[in-house]
Amino acid sequence: MIECHRLQWGAGRHPLTPPLDLQLAVGSLTAVIGSNGSGKSSLLKVLAGLDRPLAGRVDVGVPRMGGVAYLPQQQLVDRQFPIRLAELVAAGFWRSRLGRSERQARMRQTLKDWGLLELQTQGLHALSGGELQRALLARLSLTDAKVLLLDEPEAALDDVGLDLLWQHIERWQREGRTLVLVSHNLAGLSQYNCDGLLIARSGCIRAPIRQFAAERQGLGQVA
Amino acid sequence: MTPDILWAPFIEFAFMRRALFGSVALACSAGPLGVFLILRRMSLMGDAIAHGILPGAALAFWLFGLSLPALTAGGLVAGLGMAGAAAWVTRRTGLREDASLAALYPISLASGVLLLGLAGRKLDLLHLLFGSALAVDTTTLYGMLGTAGFSLLVLLVIFRALALDSLDPLFLRSISRFGPLAHAAFLTLVVLNLVIGFQAIGALMVVGLMMLPAAAARFWSRRLPVLLPLAALIGAVCVWLGLLLSFYASLPSGPCIVLLAGAFYLFSLVAGPVHGLLRSTSFPMTV
Repeated sequence: MIECHRLQWGAGRHPLTPPLDLQLAVGSLTAVIGSNGSGKSSLLKVLAGLDRPLAGRVDVGVPRMGGVAYLPQQQLVDRQFPIRLAELVAAGFWRSRLGRSERQARMRQTLKDWGLLELQTQGLHALSGGELQRALLARLSLTDAKVLLLDEPEAALDDVGLDLLWQHIERWQREGRTLVLVSHNLAGLSQYNCDGLLIARSGCIRAPIRQFAAERQGLGQVA
Repeated sequence: MTPDILWAPFIEFAFMRRALFGSVALACSAGPLGVFLILRRMSLMGDAIAHGILPGAALAFWLFGLSLPALTAGGLVAGLGMAGAAAWVTRRTGLREDASLAALYPISLASGVLLLGLAGRKLDLLHLLFGSALAVDTTTLYGMLGTAGFSLLVLLVIFRALALDSLDPLFLRSISRFGPLAHAAFLTLVVLNLVIGFQAIGALMVVGLMMLPAAAARFWSRRLPVLLPLAALIGAVCVWLGLLLSFYASLPSGPCIVLLAGAFYLFSLVAGPVHGLLRSTSFPMTV
């Protein structure tokens, strides 16, 4: 379970929101929403332990190293880096104890799951944005992390890619993994059974994502 | 040209052999380090550190005379201090790292030259900056071989972390605490290679041996496992031919080696299959 106690965060010295108390159950799926600059990605980084909170504390309930996997926004990945797609994906095995043959089998299955089998020998420079995004998600699926933090997982994905993403999200939930994702796609999210966390200056609001979608008009005013 | 010309000086003269073995070994470790400097967008770091080494080496020379351990230790402390100071300024003030490096290295160079002047004794500044094959005695040779071996070993250990830290630092930080450690170890290796190289090749020229083969290799491959040995190979061949050129034409060894590496870089820039000028289609032709 992820617990935040009187948590405040932000890039400068000034917190972006009033103190946040939050509890996310094991196996839950929470979408963090809010306007540009509201602090969604910053919150995710604090949860991942990449940034320190300004105040309060976070407990993710699992060891930070190995227990938490983080999907960065893809523009943070160096597209000119001279390696192949399969080598990028293989970084997901970082803490894995699997043997060589098991890794190969799991790698092959994961590449197949994300529709990347034909692209595995391509260099990163030759990939489209959507293909790179799938590779980053495939890398994430190789980890055994119990907490998955996804910063804009839908970025650059086409319809097929989005279907794959949501199939995986549902599978990860069934496996008892806790998911937090940052998204701008309220309409898309509302098709799924997912909790919402609205980040806004006046305070954070938690509600089923469908409710936010229904009140979309009002959301503009709140955020 | 008979093959004899390519080997004779090394068979005949022990000092040429020492220079060859030492510098080839150094090229093998400096090249891969250069590849990572480029990948980490720190290409100017080597240059700045090489300048930064100078006051440390000059101070060591002033206090202890021409002793390899003292020069190495002085250079090492000054080089690491330079890299550390630039990182510290960046972290504390938000000045970009290249700017803080550019600000620090003229200070280092000027204070190094002044220190050498104050030392009074004759240490040839040109020799320190541009090197001489004659300077490689047995101690220096062992120093170079040891440094090269140690660097390659450490690089092997930190390779995965270093690559992932260059490619996608946030993901690495989320799965491992090893990233900052790998970065620090990497910078130490860069300083160590530059310091140990300045005896034979010169403080400023050794940067060329680090960066030029690495930059040239980028025009021949897009695969990291290929780039690393390729940069080492290019560096080693340039060392060998450069020493020959220096021997036959009675020229300083450092600039000969670096200019050959430079010539190969220009050749790669034109003819290399990866974005070389001849293969490039990125400039649309208009009639």
